[in-house]
Amino acid sequence: MSLLFRCAVYAIVLFLVAIVVVGQRHATAKDTLRAALPRTGRWTLWSAALVGVMFALEAAFIGW
Amino acid sequence: MVMRSNPDPSRGLGWDVFLAGFVPGLMQFHLGQKSRAILALVSCLALFFAGWVMVGERLFYWALVTPDESGSPALRFAARYGLLLTLPELLNLPGNAIGALLAWDGSPSGERLWRLPRAMEHLGGFLTAASGMLAAFWSAAGHWDLRRRRDGGDDAPAPIANPALCAGLSWLVPGLGHARAGQKDKGLLLGAAVLAVFALGLLVSHGHACDRATASVWWIGQNLCGGGSLFAALITGPLHMESAPEHLSLGVVLCTVSGLMNLVVMVDAFSVAERSVFPVKLSEATS
Repeated sequence: MSLLFRCAVYAIVLFLVAIVVVGQRHATAKDTLRAALPRTGRWTLWSAALVGVMFALEAAFIGW
Repeated sequence: MVMRSNPDPSRGLGWDVFLAGFVPGLMQFHLGQKSRAILALVSCLALFFAGWVMVGERLFYWALVTPDESGSPALRFAARYGLLLTLPELLNLPGNAIGALLAWDGSPSGERLWRLPRAMEHLGGFLTAASGMLAAFWSAAGHWDLRRRRDGGDDAPAPIANPALCAGLSWLVPGLGHARAGQKDKGLLLGAAVLAVFALGLLVSHGHACDRATASVWWIGQNLCGGGSLFAALITGPLHMESAPEHLSLGVVLCTVSGLMNLVVMVDAFSVAERSVFPVKLSEATS
């Protein structure tokens, strides 16, 4: 439950941060929102990859 | 809009101008704006001492590196002579220095006084910090005037809004600077994003995430969302904490992230107003 809660908070915050970051390159709210969605998706994939690499490192050097 | 006469518009204004920004009003004085220079100095000092009467030496305890008995002699020497590493108060160098010169006491009994909680310390801490932020906005205003004079000449048109004012408004109410610079819907969206993260941080920590007395280093980042930290100083900061909430650390991080998001919003608000006079060419924007 705690992990689910933290993942949900992470996803929401990632989207809100993406709004602010892509907002610098757009002049309207509509364009900003449109650009923030794919950016959030890309960041989510990168986050998942990072977690995957950390698990792999843990398995390689510490063990399960 | 202005066609630049400067061959290298991305060139900075130099270290002397940067350092002059630490003394509120010095740049305005240099620009010949004497009444604005006095207003800048008086407003920053008044705000600092409005908070100082509530917190006093407690401010030393919130320094980025506490110059206590075990600290380095250089740090203690700097604190003794007014160069205390308190952020963002350090941006208002005269106020910060006068405060340190008035009340610095590095003895063990002096250190005990730093640790003593004060009545209204949350509000006092916010006010001294606000003086540092105000000094930064006065400095930004001076930088803007110098840049306008350098790159636009005497006949440079007025911007849609003063960039420093836009940044300052965004500090107090995230997104308000964009609205002032003509991007109302974008300002509303950015402001909602910043405040949502701050509110989420307060919510998961039962209101204890933004508290200078307990997390002074994190608070430096949280204070970049001025409206949020003012709300916390007035409403949630003084709440009594019987035991640490389960998600306190998550809340502290979220409020800090919100402050850093608002830093981006402030810089963008400044740029939006700045570009009404000095538009960025596509080749510069993408390089």
